[in-house]
Amino acid sequence: MGRIKVMELKDYRWMSNGQSVFSGPLLQLFFRLDELFLNWAKEIKAKEFLFPTFVPTLELKKLDYFHSFPHLITFPVTLDQDEENLKRFSGSKMCNADGAIHLTKTSPIKSVLNPAACYHFYMEFQNNKLEGPLYLTTRAACFRQEKQYIPLQRQWHFSMREIVCLGTADEVKSFLSKFQTQLESFFKAIQLPIQFQNATDPFFNPSRNPKYLLQKLDPVKTEMVYDGHLAIGSLNFHRNYFGEAFQISRNGEDAFSGCVAFGLERWIYALLNQFGSDEPDWPEVLK
Amino acid sequence: MNEQEVKLSLRKWIIEKNGKIQSEDLKPDTPIIEQRIISSLQIMDLILFLEKLRGNAIDVENLKPGVFRTIDIIYSNFFKGNPNGKN
Repeated sequence: MGRIKVMELKDYRWMSNGQSVFSGPLLQLFFRLDELFLNWAKEIKAKEFLFPTFVPTLELKKLDYFHSFPHLITFPVTLDQDEENLKRFSGSKMCNADGAIHLTKTSPIKSVLNPAACYHFYMEFQNNKLEGPLYLTTRAACFRQEKQYIPLQRQWHFSMREIVCLGTADEVKSFLSKFQTQLESFFKAIQLPIQFQNATDPFFNPSRNPKYLLQKLDPVKTEMVYDGHLAIGSLNFHRNYFGEAFQISRNGEDAFSGCVAFGLERWIYALLNQFGSDEPDWPEVLK
Repeated sequence: MNEQEVKLSLRKWIIEKNGKIQSEDLKPDTPIIEQRIISSLQIMDLILFLEKLRGNAIDVENLKPGVFRTIDIIYSNFFKGNPNGKN
């Protein structure tokens, strides 16, 4: 197994604020991976959506997100449009040598940058009575603030493809189990060493959060862990949590949901680390 | 308390806490967390209730997955032979 030197990769640039720039064959790899995931979604006739980057705070509040994950949130901030306020900002020193900006009065913040791709679906289908299971997919830019960023492995801004099922408990469980089997075969076929491991979401102050305790007692998250430390994707069973929060029903009851999530930058890391940066050495399906 | 009494008290407590579930829908093998009959906010209350019912503390730090899955499983983990809920 190789140990890729990410900073020396051709066609790659790391930005110290936790973001990656791709071009050339690496960008092609990014698109091929996404196409692979999208084809898996198409196999179950999932409908594709393209969502915007901001999520209304009032929608995230329904999920208790601000209580559970305050450390991850990124807010889009704008200046108050009052002319005097703008003049004050425009005429000020504005920022420190390290780039930290001094804001004057800001507008009320009513949005959050996407923390995960699938939240949009529950907002999209809220107050709906489902006649059958729904299969959906999207790729979105996601934003999670972290204490430390690592190129391709832990980023402030990263890309996530998700395939989602909304339906009865059995429909969702069968969707997740089908995907786990399919993914196990895929990893075996391309010889990428992945372990499926139970995990919990990264709650703030977990020991005091009953949601964390509940996830520990009844695991709902299975991660695809590469090389013993890097989760390149996950299978998540949300029970009827989103169905209840957004009043989506199926057979007269709160709908259940589940998703399969793929972190594209982490897949790129795992593949390059495993097979090297030369395209001829990559698995056939990604050439 | 014998097995029947424990399971009956537990059942009564869950039905009361949930407030919506019909008595006949809560069976000894109904998955109470998976079906969100008990919510995340009620899980600590459930632990306190079990501690009171059995008369000693539960080691929350070392609880293993699945120990609260159903009424039957709760009984066998916390009242019968294996009082610490460790698998």
